[in-house]
Amino acid sequence: MKKHPMLKYLKEQGPQGDRLPLIMCPGCGSGQVLNFIFMAIDHLINEQGYQKDNFVFISGVGCHARLTSHYLNFDSGWTIHGRTLPIATGALLANPELHPVVITGDGDTGAIGGNHFIHACRRNLDLTIVCLNNKLYGMTGGQSSPTTLNGETTSTNPYGNFEADFDLCELAKTAGATYVARWTTAHPTKSVKAILKGLENRGTSFIEILSQCPTHFKQSPSQMIREYKEKTVRLEKMQEDDAGKIPIGEFQDMRKPDWSSSYRKIVQSVQNKTIQD
Amino acid sequence: MKKKNERYEIRIAGFGGQGVVTIGRILGIAFSVHEGVNSVNTQSYGPESRGGACRSEVVVSSGVIHYPYVREADLFVALSQLALDQYGASLQPDGTLLVDADSVETFPEGFRGDLFMIPTMAIAGEVGNIKFQNSVALGALYWIIQDKISEESIKKALAESVPRATLEGNYAAFEQGKLFLQKNTANKE
Amino acid sequence: MDFMHKENLIQAGVHYLQGSQACAEGALTAGCSVYAGYPITPATEVMEHAAWRFPQVGARLIQMEDEIASASVLLGASLAGAKAVTATSSPGFSLMQEVISYAIMAEIPFVIVDVQRPGPGQGYITASQEDVMQARWGHHGEGSAIALAPSSVQEMFDFTIEAFNLAETWRTPVLLMTEETVAHMRERFTVPPRESLRILERKKPQDLGIAPQDYLPWGHDTVSPLAAWGEGYAFNCVGLVHLEDGNVTKYGTEMHHHCIKRIKDKIDGHVEDIARLETFFLDDCEHLVICYGSVFRTAIEAVREAREAAGLKIGLVRMVTLWPFAEKKLRQCIGKTGTVFVPEMNMGMMLHPITEALRDCCDRIIPIPELGKLHTPELILSTLYKELQ
Repeated sequence: MKKHPMLKYLKEQGPQGDRLPLIMCPGCGSGQVLNFIFMAIDHLINEQGYQKDNFVFISGVGCHARLTSHYLNFDSGWTIHGRTLPIATGALLANPELHPVVITGDGDTGAIGGNHFIHACRRNLDLTIVCLNNKLYGMTGGQSSPTTLNGETTSTNPYGNFEADFDLCELAKTAGATYVARWTTAHPTKSVKAILKGLENRGTSFIEILSQCPTHFKQSPSQMIREYKEKTVRLEKMQEDDAGKIPIGEFQDMRKPDWSSSYRKIVQSVQNKTIQD
Repeated sequence: MKKKNERYEIRIAGFGGQGVVTIGRILGIAFSVHEGVNSVNTQSYGPESRGGACRSEVVVSSGVIHYPYVREADLFVALSQLALDQYGASLQPDGTLLVDADSVETFPEGFRGDLFMIPTMAIAGEVGNIKFQNSVALGALYWIIQDKISEESIKKALAESVPRATLEGNYAAFEQGKLFLQKNTANKE
Repeated sequence: MDFMHKENLIQAGVHYLQGSQACAEGALTAGCSVYAGYPITPATEVMEHAAWRFPQVGARLIQMEDEIASASVLLGASLAGAKAVTATSSPGFSLMQEVISYAIMAEIPFVIVDVQRPGPGQGYITASQEDVMQARWGHHGEGSAIALAPSSVQEMFDFTIEAFNLAETWRTPVLLMTEETVAHMRERFTVPPRESLRILERKKPQDLGIAPQDYLPWGHDTVSPLAAWGEGYAFNCVGLVHLEDGNVTKYGTEMHHHCIKRIKDKIDGHVEDIARLETFFLDDCEHLVICYGSVFRTAIEAVREAREAAGLKIGLVRMVTLWPFAEKKLRQCIGKTGTVFVPEMNMGMMLHPITEALRDCCDRIIPIPELGKLHTPELILSTLYKELQ
């Protein structure tokens, strides 16, 4: 049987046995998103001479976080809920050659890691954030997240969510991220291209991908993916009567100096100033 | 110099902004880096440092200094009445007290040691800038402890601790502080 | 991580700095190349000095949005191969416990300096030793931390280097538990020539000839070599209960026991190698003072005075390492004794492990608490005289 071309980026075996399969539910969007990321990286390695060893995947806690568990054939850290961005920051400070790929979710980024998210964007650190937005907490059993839509019923909003939802892309843009895009699992080519652009951008890139959770929304995956086509509208084509639709596309695409290059300048400028109390 | 290990304790107190902390640091550097003896320099901190009075301390010893704070000051420098009132109790009854002549009017009860008075602010003004007040005090302080440290050591430490552009003024203030005490003490004798 | 400008490290010789400054210099001298921090009194001076000095040697420093983020930066930096440090004070230390817990489990070394202060966030900023139990038990889950307690500016420099050595040797976070007293005092200290400094580096799999496909991040030895991200080991760091190779799918209670026991035994099974005590006047002593941190400075002054002025036969033990607790060493060095005094800048915290350790070899144990400031010699002396005369 012919193997999936991206399987080379997964460890099927480790010194102590099988590492696959992934634990995702059937129809989950996470596997699709991991495939998008692999395709973008594969392109960079094969077409642009990026070093595979310099990619490091960092995740926190949530369904999405399991993507960077023990089966990745890359350096990775499956770390602390919400703290992915400071951890990626530390990795970059230690070794500015690294390309941190932060895999996160709507709860990880928008709630517990919200403050880290804002400040990572503000600093324009050279890292790529891929946020799988399934609009709820999947790992803990389908509770509300900051992106759960108004009116949606979840296990922590049994009478319907009456709060407003976060637009993570607008937040990233306002906070200073230099590449921001939103696509869905129904837009694989666009998603891969956005991740590729994000990885190429020397600064903070935020790519939100709406990713279905058929388990907790109790819908068929195909129905959810179809809705991603129907309920979204391209940002540049938005009309007044599109209110209620989800804008997709590029929210930001600009260049400004990233943290490491600004810091390097400081280091150069302070030479010959030695210790004195 | 009656304590074991030749421990000599200096406490400096005044209002925040009078350079009290700087005097302490300069003394510490002078003793430890240039004179080669041990010294510990501490300063008031936390709630204690709110409300105006500010304190710094230097404990000097030829031996190891364990307890880092003043137990009973051998020399107390007070640049304000509030500072003297607040911290004066720590002075040994037969210790040495150096005060700013224009700020201090009442003295600790039972004090019977040596008293030196110097108008630090006025002298600093004459030198050219009232900001040099702490260097005037430092000059006077040096005159009192000149058997323990060389002028050269203090001046080196002073040079390392103030902005280069102000060094000349600080040196002049130091000189005037020293001379004032020398002159007035001679007159008294 | 090599510094770009090693020539700007602190020069060998005599210096006169604050304890906080000596700490930051010690970190650089130990080869620390990443500082991440968040301002908090009374620890801020460490960061302020580091902010000025780290760029000079080509090391990196970042001010983070909070203490959780600061500690997280250390985790990421260490995983990418760097030695990393932060300094904080008690409320910030609480926030860092989440990361400490992960780092103990995943066995990731870094150093946290805690300039302790009393109580909650709004509160006082004065000297305190009220985090000594938090250092041991503050993190969730099992596993032991290593904590040192310096008592002088010289030790703020030396122990920071030692903290890195312990962190790298035992692959675990190390805590430098200090106080305002030592952090803010200025004192003469000596930087030894570089060639005489003992600076240890972590073991790496490539140095031991271990190929990526055979690499066990948690298994080759008591302390396994640690691969750095970016060096071709495809090292998957996990915080879950894991097999030696990092596999998490084969979970079972037996695996759980094995994983946790290994991490716990790594420290608790090597207390004798890690923990240090200093002893004074033990030859003839009938009673004992046990102390740590800057309280040592008052205690030794008081003990000496009590011996000289009042002829009390009293000895002194100073705990250099708070955790792991040196129970065996403590029992060995004192034998049988009368009254044990424990002065601490808290209401009696290390009193508990001390009481446990000396359960059958002393008559009674008396705490000498002080809050908000360092004990005066008079406070300790008056207690000694009251109880022993």
